[in-house]
Amino acid sequence: MEHYLDLLSVLMLLSAIMLVSHKRIRSYIRTFRLQAILIAVIAGFMGFESLMTEGSIDILVICVIIIALKVVIIPMLLHKTFANVEDVVEKDFYLNIPILILMSCVLVVFSYFTLSGISGLASGHVNLQVVNAFSVILIGFFFMISRKKAIGQIIGYLVMENGIFVTAIFSTHGMPFIVDIGIFIDMITAVLIMGVMVVQINEKFDSININNLRNLRG
Amino acid sequence: MGMFESDSLLCLTIIIYMTAALVALVFSGQQRISILLTQGLCMLAGLSGAASALVFLLSKEEAFHLNLFSSPIPFLSVDIAFDGLAAFFLLVLSMLVFCVSLYSIGYLSHYIGNRNVCAYQILYVLFILSMLLVFVAGNGILFFMAWEAMAIVSYFLVVFESENPETRKAGLIYIVMTNVSAALVLVALMLMYQYTGSFDLSHSAEQIPGNIKNVMFVLFLIGFGTKGGIAPLHVWLPRAHPAAPGPISALMSGIMIKTAIYGLLRFLLDYLGAGHAWWGYVLLALGIFSAVMGVLYAFISKNIKRMLAHSSVENMGILFIGVGIVLVSAAGGAKEVAALALMATLLHCFFHAIYKGSLFLSVGSIHFATHTKNMEELGGLIKRMPVTAVLCLGGALSIAAIVPFSGFVSEWLMYQSIFSSFVLGQAGLNILLIITAAALAMAAALSAGSMIKLYGISFLGRPRSSFAESAVEVPKAMNAGIGILVSLSLLFGLFPRIAVNLLNGIVSDLLGVPIKDQLTGNVLLVSFPLHINQNAISPALALGLCVVVVLLTLLFLRGIGGKYSQRIYGTWDCGFKALTPRMQYSGRAFSKPIKIVFRMFIKSTRELKLVGDAVYHPESIEYNVKTESALEKNVYLPFIRGVSALSEKLKFMIQTGSVHAYLLYIFAAVLVLMLYNRVN
Amino acid sequence: MSTITYLLLQIVMIILLAPLVNGVIGKIKALTQKRTGAPVLQMYFDLHKLMQKSAVVSDVSSWIFRVTPYIVFGTAVVAAMLVPVSVRILPDSIPGDMIMLFYILALGRFFICLAALDTGSAFGGMGSSREVMISSLIEPSVIVVIFTLGLISKSTSVFIIMETMAQRGSSFIGPVTILLFLAMLMILIAETSRIPIDDPATHLELTMVHEAMILEYSGRHLALMEFGAVIKQMMLMTLMVNIFLPLESFVTVAGFPGVALSLLIYLGKMLVLTVIIALIEVNTVKVRFFSIPNLAALSFILAFLGFMQYFVLGRS
Repeated sequence: MEHYLDLLSVLMLLSAIMLVSHKRIRSYIRTFRLQAILIAVIAGFMGFESLMTEGSIDILVICVIIIALKVVIIPMLLHKTFANVEDVVEKDFYLNIPILILMSCVLVVFSYFTLSGISGLASGHVNLQVVNAFSVILIGFFFMISRKKAIGQIIGYLVMENGIFVTAIFSTHGMPFIVDIGIFIDMITAVLIMGVMVVQINEKFDSININNLRNLRG
Repeated sequence: MGMFESDSLLCLTIIIYMTAALVALVFSGQQRISILLTQGLCMLAGLSGAASALVFLLSKEEAFHLNLFSSPIPFLSVDIAFDGLAAFFLLVLSMLVFCVSLYSIGYLSHYIGNRNVCAYQILYVLFILSMLLVFVAGNGILFFMAWEAMAIVSYFLVVFESENPETRKAGLIYIVMTNVSAALVLVALMLMYQYTGSFDLSHSAEQIPGNIKNVMFVLFLIGFGTKGGIAPLHVWLPRAHPAAPGPISALMSGIMIKTAIYGLLRFLLDYLGAGHAWWGYVLLALGIFSAVMGVLYAFISKNIKRMLAHSSVENMGILFIGVGIVLVSAAGGAKEVAALALMATLLHCFFHAIYKGSLFLSVGSIHFATHTKNMEELGGLIKRMPVTAVLCLGGALSIAAIVPFSGFVSEWLMYQSIFSSFVLGQAGLNILLIITAAALAMAAALSAGSMIKLYGISFLGRPRSSFAESAVEVPKAMNAGIGILVSLSLLFGLFPRIAVNLLNGIVSDLLGVPIKDQLTGNVLLVSFPLHINQNAISPALALGLCVVVVLLTLLFLRGIGGKYSQRIYGTWDCGFKALTPRMQYSGRAFSKPIKIVFRMFIKSTRELKLVGDAVYHPESIEYNVKTESALEKNVYLPFIRGVSALSEKLKFMIQTGSVHAYLLYIFAAVLVLMLYNRVN
Repeated sequence: MSTITYLLLQIVMIILLAPLVNGVIGKIKALTQKRTGAPVLQMYFDLHKLMQKSAVVSDVSSWIFRVTPYIVFGTAVVAAMLVPVSVRILPDSIPGDMIMLFYILALGRFFICLAALDTGSAFGGMGSSREVMISSLIEPSVIVVIFTLGLISKSTSVFIIMETMAQRGSSFIGPVTILLFLAMLMILIAETSRIPIDDPATHLELTMVHEAMILEYSGRHLALMEFGAVIKQMMLMTLMVNIFLPLESFVTVAGFPGVALSLLIYLGKMLVLTVIIALIEVNTVKVRFFSIPNLAALSFILAFLGFMQYFVLGRS
């Protein structure tokens, strides 16, 4: 059981790094969907385990919600929003992709070092899972910083959200139901708003490069 | 003092060197005879030095002290301490001197009639003698005097061809950096005297307090690091080594920069005792930085000697990595790992001296035959200088760490020592070690690439200039010298246990762990494997298998395809039929992909000039690419400018030109000293 | 006795079966493109035909050009002899170190690059310089993979690594091995010059790396170069399947039937890996040359993360 959870945590980390190495908007959304599927599998595992041991179906419900929201609805929304955007491939980067990949690797090392000081996490398996999950949060945030187009920020936020969920679930094997629902509602609202904004920005300015905001300086 | 004991052989060596210098002076008129005699005597001295060292290392004698000259003046005694470490480095020096002297017999024939052969030879002998004294010095004062002598004599040798302004500038940078670093070493030695009361290196350093040891470490690091050419203190190396004459570059790159390793091992490991792990970490970090920087700049060089000089920076980085691992594991208590790392470092010193010497000598032969060091003007030399080409290939294969040459053995031992030091088990160290291994791998691959570039562009293809077209084979003495070095490299590559056995005594002296324990497994007659813990390599077996396979393949091909027949035709030219040498790949083009990948570290500027009125059909195009070292531009130049500005301002304040001011200075100094004496 | 059996087995399995891999990959490519394609044994016929032709040698080239095919073939065969096809048959007296394995391949690569420059054509220089860039970027991840596997098995010897991985039983898929497998897959693609790093079937100089270096070769020289390349490919594939997919725990029979079963399982694993490579080749394109550092960085990161996982977990 722990073994499969290890494996899934590694695959999550892999999907986060894959995300950093992509350049096309469609690939971002697809990788996010892959990550969402992985989260659903993790939640499903945990859900079945808690069903067997405690008989509670909380986590299974969350798993279903994840599948509905993150695997189906949000990618569809994002695809529709960005269907009319001009450039499909990001060509302009602050730093080139190999450096970004190396920096996400440094982030993994960093999360290992900072988390190894927390007592209670010192045992082998849980430590591995939490380190991987926490790295996903950091890599999501890093992704937000490193991309110039608005899609980067949205996907980065979503990946961070994924990472937070997975960290919580790996370290405690369960989360209060109401907190989870609250987070989901927040997230869906945020995505809707951001999607609408992006469409408006694109129509007005013909580009979603957020760097153009600098032109507003006085 | 028997006839064939190491102490008498050592004295014999020193006497022969001094005789050689005298002979050079005496025969300064008849240059040809003086060359033969002096270099011959140097070869003899090399043989006796090697014999002395071998006798010592193989017969496990006790370390001895010789007091050649003592006087009532304190500190002025020539005190020789000959232990395993000194013997080993003496062996390396002597072997290199033997081959370089043999080579010089041919090389110096170009100097007859144009230059001052007598001065060159005297300086040459003094250079070797000073390095010898550095290795066998028994007390700090003799060490420092020999160190300074080595620096000054080598300066004169570097600027020997002083009509070239580049050479003079190279010499200036060299002498300034060397002397500044020697001053730091002197400060460390003075600290040593202050806390232990003597300069004798065999005294223990227990009286020195901990933080003074740290200060001494930093001073020794900067002092020896500059001499060894570690980035960021390496800027003199790529200028000075190409400027010096061929045999001198070989000696400088082969053994002079290794005196830095000797100094580090002697002072840090032997004298101060491996105290703190952070010393090792600093050495590791500097080593990684030098290795990667050195090999990157080597790859993009177009001057063949400068490429080899940058490659020396890379190898010194690798040696610093080795010493770093020794210190880290010795401080962490893992003595076996430290012993393995020490063995790897010393073997790398040895093998690098041999193959770098052979490469510099081969490149010297190219310069001798074609009068140019620019790769872009060479090409096609393999048909005109066949023997030199084969020998240079041997050297290139060695430095690229290719089986079955000796470079591979020392590289493998480095990997094994990194691999074994994971056992120390600290988090940060493990990550640093894996990054070291990755950096080492990339450096090895890039150095193989730069050797492909060197060999491919200089020797293969068509000649790119008339210099290269008119090259002829060099005199036999030169090829003989290189040949001995290359065959030594091959020998040690195939039978590494020979070299490893020499190190047993040294390692057990310094670390208390005999190497024989590490070498498990027996020496099978067929494969001569080298076992470390559970890992083993057998280059001899690989070579043997390869030869058998090739023979079987030839038979097989004969069977299927009949006798080999070939048709000589032109290179495929897409039907163009007018291939010129300019249409081949040039050295600059070869290194372009790596330059683009690493453009963050290698910033080059380019300018493009089009001559002619038409925009799309210019008459001629001039394309210039300049690569500036970011280190020099951002660190060194501002520093130099600052110091120059400051000294301009202070110039007339101190040196007023007035006699009264100078008398006043002297008077004030006397008064202050008298006061100081009274107060203490 | 055991050494001779081992060597014979290696020769039969790796050397004689190596051209089949290219045949299978070609067949799969053809089938996905809805054509029949060349027969699976085509490469054998090609090699046989090439060996009977005379060689055309450029007048600019030297002895290096003529010696290189033998060195490339020889090193590939020697390297193949160091990678056992079955953990049950291991030699006693051949020391095989994984680091040495890759440096033996480096000897072949050195000489190919030199031979390419030897002919004085621009194709060769271009191939050499690109090959040097690719190999220097892929070496760090090779070393990290070797070191991680070595730390798991406490030794860098190929035989000991394979035995240790075989003894792990059914838990061979774990966080460490997945990452190392993916890293090694990229290393395999880089070393054997396959899509997406290099196209083995191209003749446009814009896209050539390995092909550019062997452009001038003909006759038996070309046969040896091609054969050497496929042997190297087979050897790396054997290394991968035997380390990362050790199904030895499913072979419970001892003695000769056990060995036969183990060899059958080996052939099955090789088929699976061949299909994976072919599918990658069909579904991706050759990337822009300066995107190769992205792939190399990815491979290094995967290997490094594999090392971190091993290290964080304490044991694998």
